[in-house]
Amino acid sequence: MNEQSRDGLEERSRTLFKDSVDNVDMRVRSRLTQARHAALEAASASRRRPWLLRASIWTPAAGVTAAAVLGVALWFGSPLGHHVMTASDNPTAFEDLDIVASSDDGSGDAMDMLQDDVDFYDWANKAGNPEPAA
Amino acid sequence: MVWDSPAPAREDAVLDQTRELEKFLAEVERRAFRMAQIALRDPDDALDVVQDAMLKLARNYSAKPSAEWRPLFYRILENGIRDLQRRRSVRKRFMVWLPSAKEDPDNEAQDPLDNVAAAGPDAPEILMQSQAMEQLETSLRGLPARQREAFMLRNFEGLDVAETAKAMGCSEGSVKTHYSRAVHSLREQLGEVWQ
Repeated sequence: MNEQSRDGLEERSRTLFKDSVDNVDMRVRSRLTQARHAALEAASASRRRPWLLRASIWTPAAGVTAAAVLGVALWFGSPLGHHVMTASDNPTAFEDLDIVASSDDGSGDAMDMLQDDVDFYDWANKAGNPEPAA
Repeated sequence: MVWDSPAPAREDAVLDQTRELEKFLAEVERRAFRMAQIALRDPDDALDVVQDAMLKLARNYSAKPSAEWRPLFYRILENGIRDLQRRRSVRKRFMVWLPSAKEDPDNEAQDPLDNVAAAGPDAPEILMQSQAMEQLETSLRGLPARQREAFMLRNFEGLDVAETAKAMGCSEGSVKTHYSRAVHSLREQLGEVWQ
C-alpha cells in the first residue's frame, strides 16, 4: 500500500463524514441543542452547590469510611479478633450455664418424673383392659 | 460576612467558562452524534450516549482547563458506546433462550434509503455520496472496536496521537498501531470500490 493511496482514503472518508455531519436532520439537531442546554444547566448547578456537598469530595471519603468499617468488622469477626470469654464479660450467660450444669446434681428428679410416667401408663393400661371377674 | 455571594471577578470567570463550554459542545455535538451512530447504528441510542457524555463532562469536568475537554469528552463517549454494545450483546444472548424471542425492530439495520435526501437537481451525486458513506460505515463497523475508535478520533475528529491516546486510555504507540491497522483494513475493503 503506498502513502498516496492511504492519504486518498483518509481524505475521502473525512470528506464523506463531514458531509454526513452537515446533513444531520433537524430533529436530531434540535435534540442535540436540548441536550447541550441540559448539560450547561447541570454544570452551573454543580458549580452552585457548596463544595462540601459535591459528590466528588464525598465519594472517596465514603469509600475510605466503608473500607475502615469493613476492616473493623472483619477484625472482630475473625479468629484473630476473638478472645477468651470470662465471667466478668457476661454474668447472665454464666448463670444460665450454672442452671444447665446443676442437672447433674438433680438427676434424681428426672428419674422421679420417669417413675411417675410408668405409674400413669400402668394405670391407663389397667383402666382400658379391665380384668375379667373371677 | 456573606459566604454565598461570589466575587464579581469569579462570576465573570464562571460566565466565561459556561460560554466556552457551550461553544465546545456546540462544535462537537454533531460529529459526536455521527460517530456514535456509526458505532451503534441506532440514532436514538446515539443521541442518548451523546447526551450522557455531555452531562458527565459538564457535571464532572467543566472546571478543568478547556484544552482537556475534547479527549475527556470522547473518552466518556467511547465508554458509553462500549457499555451500550455490551448490554446489547448480553440482551441478544438472553433473547436467544426465550422461545418467543423476536428481533427487536429498533435494532434492525437502518435502511440506506432513509438517509437519501429528497430528489433534486443533484440527486445522483447525493445518492452516490450516500452509498459511499454507507460502504464506509459498514466497513468501519466491521473493524475491531479499538481500531474503529482510533480511526474516527484521528481522522474524523482530528485529534492528534497524544489526544487520541488520552481519549482511548492507551499509549500513543497503541494508537499508532490501531490506526495503521484500521487504515490497512479499510483500504483492503474499500480500495476497489472507491477507485
